[in-house]
Order: sequence, then structure tokens, then C-alpha cells
Amino acid sequence: MEKAGKLNKYIFTVVVLYVSWILLTATTRADELIVGLIVSLLVAIGSFDYLSEHGLSHLTPKRVLYLIIYAPYYLWQVILANFDVAYRVLAPSMPIKPGIVKVKTNLKTDSGKLALANSITMTPGTLTMDVKDDTLLVHWIYVKDETVEGATKEIGTPFEKYLKEIFG
Amino acid sequence: MIRKIVYSIFLATIVLALVMFFAAYPFGKNKMTVGEYYLNNGVAQTGASNIVTSVVVDYRGFDTLGEVSVLFGAAAGVAILFFVLAENRRERKNITSPNFVVKVGSRIIFPFILLFGTYIFIHGHLTPGGGFQGGSIIASGFLLLYLAYPGTRVSRKKLSAVEGLAGLTFVLLGLYGLMLPESSFLFNFLPKGQLNALLSAGILPIIYIAIGFKVAAEFAGIVDDMMCEVICRGGEK
Repeated sequence: MEKAGKLNKYIFTVVVLYVSWILLTATTRADELIVGLIVSLLVAIGSFDYLSEHGLSHLTPKRVLYLIIYAPYYLWQVILANFDVAYRVLAPSMPIKPGIVKVKTNLKTDSGKLALANSITMTPGTLTMDVKDDTLLVHWIYVKDETVEGATKEIGTPFEKYLKEIFG
Repeated sequence: MIRKIVYSIFLATIVLALVMFFAAYPFGKNKMTVGEYYLNNGVAQTGASNIVTSVVVDYRGFDTLGEVSVLFGAAAGVAILFFVLAENRRERKNITSPNFVVKVGSRIIFPFILLFGTYIFIHGHLTPGGGFQGGSIIASGFLLLYLAYPGTRVSRKKLSAVEGLAGLTFVLLGLYGLMLPESSFLFNFLPKGQLNALLSAGILPIIYIAIGFKVAAEFAGIVDDMMCEVICRGGEK
């Protein structure tokens, strides 16, 4: 994705904030919609430079569609990981093998790397400790594979195939 | 030994006083007559569906004006303290560079924090929360930026302007109410509107928006003072 101009970023911020406002108020009453638009326009003045460098190019139908698909997919991954960690906690043999592994990512944008890092952190059992360029340092409750390629395939790839489409 | 006797007498006096105090009130009867009045009449008189707001901003609006002033005094006190300390401060430069997640995450979440804080104080008369809470949330957004980007500085002139204008709005609304016939300071002179609508409860939402801006500016100023004690002034000497 290429970097966007100021007006582009401003409109993108207004759109995202307005959608958030509608989700927050959870109503389509006219007064809330009008006030929400005014608030979005005002808040975006002070904050459009922070949200994203790429502006409206985030909002292609394909990216939005993948974002909507990613939410339940991610939830499913979290549920699976929950059962895995619960098993490791409850099993009397205590099958843990904690360690820190390197995970490579092909994501180019900062927001994409952040989404990947947070997806890994919020999944039980794995925790992103730091991000340096294209490498994530991940703490893993059971190190199945110490190599960079193996860890990337186990931890990063399940999320990355969607995040690649959403954030590029 | 004498000390123990004195203590015992002291304790007995306190217990006796408490017993006599509570004996004057019948057990199990509702004593909150003021609270009862607010609960029964608050919605009809102020038009705010959030009773807490109707008490804080309408019935005790003058008290809230005092609270806002106290907050201003506290912010000024912090500023004075750090201004004086700046003379003989220690050099603090061992600040680790913020983590990637903090840096990028705070940029992305900052607009949403501003929006959420605004949402809280605009809906102060309808839902839990209000000017103080919303303002604090907005200031926390600035704190996040200060933590993620140690070079950040919010313009103090702009903060002072926002704070002054917000305070002025509050006081002028109150004074306008005083000028109307048969009314009082902070009299709710605007129409009450329909219950639960965004434009209801007369001047309450306007006052809460003003308080929101004022609190946000004051807390952002405190954040600026404290973070600059650590970061901004570290270099100059």
C-alpha cells in the first residue's frame, strides 16, 4: 500500500470513527447520527495523522470482507488455544515446555504487524514480546518447533494468511 | 497501666457517643429523605434520565462548579511544583525506547480514545459517566502518546485556551440563568425535551460537555507536567 495524502487520511478517519460511533450508540435515531457525524468530523481534525498512513486504501471491499471473515475465524482459533492451554494446566504430567522462538512475517505495514502481534498475544499460550523489523519474538507455552520456519508455520501462518489480505 | 485506663475511658466515651447517636434513629426506617426526593422528582424536574447527573449538574451544579475549580487548583499546584523542582532536578535519561506494539498501537487507538471520551461526556445525562469521566479518558489518550513517543508535547497555550473557554461557558450559562425572572444561578432555562433523547435535559448536556473539555485539558496539562519532568527537560540544563 502506498502512503496517502492528508485529505485521504482525514476522510478515512472520519469514516472509521463514524462507524465506531454507530456501533457505540447502537441506534439509528436521527439525533445520534447527526451528533455522531459532527463529533467524528471534529475528532478526526486532531487525530487523522495518527490512525493510518494509508488512508482510504484500507477500505476496499475485499479488505473489509476479509476483516469481517477474520473475526469469527480468530475467535475459533482462540477457543482451540483455550482448550489446549486448559489441558496443559489440568494434566497431572504438566506437559509444558516454555521457550522463546522467532517468528518471521511477510506483512509490510506497521498496522499489519501490530494486528499479527496482538492476535498472537491474545491467543492463550503464545505471547509477543517484541517486534523487530520482520521478526516477532514470541513466548510459547509448549515449544513444538525451535526453528524459525517451524515456529512461523505453527504460530504466525494461521493468522497471517488473513491479515495479509486485510493489511497488506 | 495509667495509659491503659486512659485508653479504656477514651474508647468507652466513643462507644457511648455512637450508641447515643444511633439510638436517636429508629431502626429499619428510610432516613434518606433528600435521596428519596431526587429519585421521585429528578426525572420530571430536570429531564435527565441519569439521576446522578441531575444531582451533580442540576441540584448541586454550584457544588460542581466548585469541584471544577478544585481540579484547576490541583493542576496549577502540580505545575508550580514541577516548575520549582525544575531548578534542582536530577538528570533522568535511562528511559528505554518504547516497544513496537506500544508505539504503533497507541497511534491507532488514539482517535478511538478521543471518540469514546467524547461519547461518554455527550451522553452524560443519559448513561453512566459524564464530563469528569469523559475528560479523564481523553487525557489518558494523550498520556498514551507521551508514553509511546517521548518527544510529544501538547501545546500549553491551546490547553489553557480550551480550559478557559470551557470554564467560561459554565459560568456564563449559570449567570444567564440568574438574569431570568424568578430564577437562580445555574437555572435550567432550556426546554427539557423528550426523555432519553440526545437533546434533552436543558442545559445539563452543555454543562457536561464544557466540564468534559475542561477536565481533559487540565489532566492533559498534568500529564504534560509530569512526563516533561522525566523526558522533555532531561536534555536542557
